[in-house]
This record gives sequence, structure tokens and C-alpha cells, in this order.
Amino acid sequence: MSAALPIPVIQLLQVLTVAVAAPGVTGVIAKVEARLQGRRGPRIAQPYYDLAKLFRKEALAPEGASWFFLAAPLIAVTCYLTIPLLIPVLTSYGLPLGYMGDILGGGFLLSLASFVVATAALETGSPYAQLGSSRAKTFSAIAEPVVLFVVFTVALLTGTDLPYALAATVRSSAGQVIRPAHLLAAAALFMVILHETGRIPVETHTGTNEFGMIEEARAFEHSGPYFALLRWGGQLKQLILFTILADVFLAPWGLASTQRAADIGLAIVALLAKAVAVGCAVAVIDNSFAKLRLFKITEFVSGAFLLAVLGVFTLYLGGG
Amino acid sequence: MNLALTDPALTGTVQAPGVYEGVANVIAAAMLLIEFGMLRQALARDQIRLYAAQSALLSVLAIVIAADRNLPDLYALAALSAGLKVVAVPLVLRRLLGRPGAGSAPDEDEPAGVAGSQTLSPASAVLAGIVLAAYGFFCAGALGIHGPAAPATALAIAAAMVLVAFGLMIVRRDVASQAIGFFSLENAISLAALVVAAGLPLILETAFLFDLLVAVVVFGMLIRAHHTKAESLSTADLTRLRG
Repeated sequence: MSAALPIPVIQLLQVLTVAVAAPGVTGVIAKVEARLQGRRGPRIAQPYYDLAKLFRKEALAPEGASWFFLAAPLIAVTCYLTIPLLIPVLTSYGLPLGYMGDILGGGFLLSLASFVVATAALETGSPYAQLGSSRAKTFSAIAEPVVLFVVFTVALLTGTDLPYALAATVRSSAGQVIRPAHLLAAAALFMVILHETGRIPVETHTGTNEFGMIEEARAFEHSGPYFALLRWGGQLKQLILFTILADVFLAPWGLASTQRAADIGLAIVALLAKAVAVGCAVAVIDNSFAKLRLFKITEFVSGAFLLAVLGVFTLYLGGG
Repeated sequence: MNLALTDPALTGTVQAPGVYEGVANVIAAAMLLIEFGMLRQALARDQIRLYAAQSALLSVLAIVIAADRNLPDLYALAALSAGLKVVAVPLVLRRLLGRPGAGSAPDEDEPAGVAGSQTLSPASAVLAGIVLAAYGFFCAGALGIHGPAAPATALAIAAAMVLVAFGLMIVRRDVASQAIGFFSLENAISLAALVVAAGLPLILETAFLFDLLVAVVVFGMLIRAHHTKAESLSTADLTRLRG
């Protein structure tokens, strides 16, 4: 028997787990991707070293950029660190701050973070950063209806839009897992995640070609600790989205149902295992498809939209 | 603050229809997705492949219904339909489309006029398909037919599939895609038949299957005749009257 942890500690652990593990998950994906391509690849801890290096470097701002340019990475990371409070990361029961916002609240925080980064990129006057932020906003406007329809599916399934409620519904019976609405919504969300994390059918994650860049281009003018924050923010966003997919939609098992330290520890391991599993799927997709041309991205998103809309249709008839 | 979220009465959860209905619905939904895949697929070869996959799913659904509802006839029907629609029809279609241009090698079986035959861009075609599917869904929902064998959602999906198949035949301007659209229309109707009347006598079901063979022969003749006359598979050449 192990000691029970107080609720605030668990709440803090949710944030800490995501904050500490996010670069590691990115490292694992890079490693798997390299192995699949027959390369040895960077070590898994490489993203941590990169962040440590960047935090020690000098920070410069372009001439004419206002205070917002430097504040944006801080605001973005704050947003990303707030979201783990709202979603089931470690526990299957809702923590006190978990009801601060629903799925839409989490979505708003994600968009706010992306918005401040895009605005900071506009501040710089650099053509590539501006192109990147303009593209990022255009394509996220296209992806937004998909997210909305996924949320509608959740609302029809559970009668609420709390992530905890959906996870509990999915856990409740096998019939809840094998139903078209649930599977279609999960698939649509996975496509949105590929889009949002800048993975292959949409964007080359490791590319250096500015013309194909969307999200990656926005951080061009940031340097030093601010650039490190943006990189870390991207990794946080990725782990948060993976957590939502795994802990809310696909596999809400392995979450702690008590406050005991052993259960919480097990939940941390389970979360990391699930995130790495999703990451491996992403790496396989990265290696098996070519990047879409910029104007073909609408086709990719329309596919995701189709899945999400059909999910709502099948539910609307009851049953589904 | 800890609500008992596992209690469905408290959260107002839509009850899950059960594993069997879930599986049947998922298979039907996958068939509908394949129909959409055909809508945006550019190559006739890949369309044929998708048609074979859709037919295979139909056979799987027949087996699922047979196992769950104890209807041994359906096993025979599944085998027959798999043999015909997964193997025979795609083979015939591939040979038909491989034929034009008598001297061409077997792997250059991509006839001209299929790739560029979309009248709408793929994204718009999918959006139009979604509208058609919505109409099908709500029509089927309004009819309120409840078959004994499979759930109502599968029937609604079948209705949506029929309309999307029509859409496929309308937005593509080549005979090959139109033939595929017609055959997948037959798949949709078979799906509806499985849902509403799974217990239909085997002899009747088989007769319907052989109707498909007639359609394949007729479409084959049409494709060949059109190709020899117009030297393309595109129906865009048919809009002008020629003396």
C-alpha cells in the first residue's frame, strides 16, 4: 500500500508530466522515424539538449518589434501548460480545476497560443515568418469545422462536452468503442492532429525549405530562450493533442482511479506508453506518404471533415 | 465536484446499441467511406480496387449477420457475392479497360480521359457528396424502417451510399467511372437488402446478383462501343450531335 497523494499534488503532476515528457516524445518520434529510414538517428534525449543549448544563448529581437514579440512565446507556453489541467492526463476522475473549461475551452487555449505566435511573427517584418503565419491561420480556419464536428459528436455521445465524461463513456462498454460515430470522430481528430502538429501529409517536420513551411516558419526570427520556448511549446502542443486522442478517444484505460501514489505512477507510465504508440503511428505515416502540395491540403482537410460529419450523421439517427 | 461520470443516467449518454449493431454499423460506414474514396479517386485502376474492397466488406457484413442472426443461407450468399464482385467483376473491368489501344502493354492500362474527368475539384466533390449523404440519412431517418436483422443506422448509410453513387456517376465524365458508380450503387442496394430483408430466400438474392452480371456485360459493351467510336472514354464528346 502506498500513500495517498493530495489532490493539488496530482493536479500539479499532470502539468509536470506533460511539461517534462513532451521533448522526450518528440525525441522518440525522431528516433523511430530515423530507424524506419535506415538511419541511426539522433539520441532520444536530443530535444532536451537542444532546449538546454537554446536557453543558454543570447536573445535578439528584430529592429522595430514591440514587446509583444518577446511576450508571445511566454503566453503560448502558459496556454499550453494550462491545458493539462483540463483534460484527463493521469486520473479518470475529474480534478477540481478540470471543470474550469470543457473541450472547447481547451480548443480556445490552443488557438490563443497559435494566434499570439502568429501575431509575433507578423511583428518581425520577415517575409518567411509572415508567410508562415498567414498560411497557418488560413489552414487552421479550414481545420476548425472538423474540430467543431468532433466536439458535436462528443456532445451527442455524452450529453456534455467534458473530456472526462467522454473518457468515462468510452470505458463503460465495448459497444461504445465499436460504434461508427466514435471511430469516425477519433479518425477525424487524428487527421486534425497530423495537420496541427505539422506532420507529413501537410508539412515536412524537419525540412529546411521555406516555401513548404507552415507552422515551422513562424519562429524564424526568434532566438535564444524565446526560440527555446517556442520549440518547447510545439512539443507540448504535440503531447497534449496525443493525450487528448489517447486518453479521451482511443484508449482511456490505465488512468488512475484513486489518489494512491502507485496508481498515479502507473498512470504516468501508461500515458507515456500511449503517447509513444501514437507517435510511432505518426512516424510510420511520415515515412509512407509524400507531402501534399500546398493547395492539396484542402483535400486532406475535406477528408477529415467528411469523417467528422458522417460521425454526427450516424449519431443523429440515434443508435450509430 | 467529483460527479459520478460513469452513471449514464446522470450524464444523459446516448445508449450504445450493442456490439453486434456496432460492428454492422461500422462495416456499413466503411463502405460509405469507400464510396467517397471512389468519388475523389483519379485513376480507374484504383477505383476498381476500391470497388473490390467495398464488395469484400459487404460479404463480411453478410457473414456477421449470418453468424449473429443464425441465417445459414447468408454464408452461401456471402461466398457467391465475394466470388462475383471481389474477383470476377473487377477482373472483367480491368480487362475491358486494358483493351483500348490494342497494342498497349498490360501495365499501361490507364486509359486517357479518366484522370481528368472530374467536373468538380476533389474537395468540392466531397462536400457535394456530404450534402447528398445528409439528404439520404435524413430521408431514411424519416421513413423509420426497422429491419429485424440489422440496425436502422446501416439502412440510412445504405440510402446515403445510393445517393453518393449517383453523385459519382454525375460528377465524372468518363464511362469507366460511371460503370464503377453503377456497380457500387448495386452494392449499396445489396447493403439495404441485407439490412431490411436478410431472411430473403437464397434463390431470390442470387437472381439479383446475376442481374449485376447483365449490367457488367451491358456496360462492357457500352465502354467498348464508345471507345471505338470516340477514341476516348470521356462522355464529354457525346454532348454534340453528329450526323
